[in-house]
Amino acid sequence: MILSGWESVFFWIFAIAAIFAGLLTVMARNTVHSALFLISTLVSVAALFILQGAEFIAGVQILVYVGGVMVLFLFVIMLVNVGAEERGDPMIFNKPKQVAASLIFCLLLVLGMLTGLQKGAIGLASLNKSESAVDLKAKSDEGLAKAATGTTRITNDTQQMGGMLYRYGSLPFEVASILLLVAIIGSVMLARTIKQEAAVDDLAPEVLQEEIQREPELTKVAVIEEAGS
Amino acid sequence: MFGIFAPALFLLFQQAERTRLGEMWENIQHPNLSRFLFIGALLFIIGVAGVLTRRNIIVIFMSIELIMNAANLNFIAFSRYLQSTGSANALAGQVFAVFIIVVAAAEAAIGLGIVIALYRNKETILLDEIDLLKW
Repeated sequence: MILSGWESVFFWIFAIAAIFAGLLTVMARNTVHSALFLISTLVSVAALFILQGAEFIAGVQILVYVGGVMVLFLFVIMLVNVGAEERGDPMIFNKPKQVAASLIFCLLLVLGMLTGLQKGAIGLASLNKSESAVDLKAKSDEGLAKAATGTTRITNDTQQMGGMLYRYGSLPFEVASILLLVAIIGSVMLARTIKQEAAVDDLAPEVLQEEIQREPELTKVAVIEEAGS
Repeated sequence: MFGIFAPALFLLFQQAERTRLGEMWENIQHPNLSRFLFIGALLFIIGVAGVLTRRNIIVIFMSIELIMNAANLNFIAFSRYLQSTGSANALAGQVFAVFIIVVAAAEAAIGLGIVIALYRNKETILLDEIDLLKW
């Protein structure tokens, strides 16, 4: 797998964009800025996926991450981050000693990665001497239908991917759907207010009494069992 | 004695330097599997640094998303490499990437639900102020 020509130019553009946007995600003071930088990292990584011929994953990445997860993040920031913004908290990182310790840990990770690249280069070099991406693409595209312009071919990555997913991964696929169902129910249950919990009689009686003393409004919605009747 | 060897050494070093630079230029011109792994590892390390250093719980969640994306990048790179060797199961990496995206979406939904519940009870999202289990 060797890229060449414009592919390598785009590889470096998107790789550098992904890493810088990732760094800014971690270092930005404003949480909304972090979320926007994370979106640009995700889009850059999706572009790297396209360079590697995984168009379906790139599409899923943009639809699910950028379109779904990041919008959820922005909503939660809007709901939650008000206090910190108003207080104007100057500290965005932990205490300096903790930051130093974790940076030393990350430095160790970088060193491990660099030695891995140096020592493993002998093993990786044989891996890297495969055919160039252009020849490979031309060879694998021979049987595919031509696109409207006649110069490119219609990819069958998504088709192969679907076949693989349903032939070999159908059980994990179903388990994933159950996981998503659990996640939906769990997040709805977690995000309920005390008023909603009282309305469906889901609170322990003692907790309900305490809450009513604090917030008399709750008697309007709560189902209170009379002790005598 | 040294005077004789010095130019030879100089030439030798220059030659070595030139070949190393040539190799580097070759690597830059033709990114291969290890470049993709390198980018993935860097993204992973940035994510770990974010998890360990930030105070805001939402930014920590975002760093976790970054880590999962780094793993995805590695899976796709190896999947592409296996396609180039003509392996029959080459697309398994892409299937894994889909499942990672599913798990990340579920994790984000649950985690942000927890953040909202926590904010309702503790009025803060800074991790060092959430010390219910401290003693």
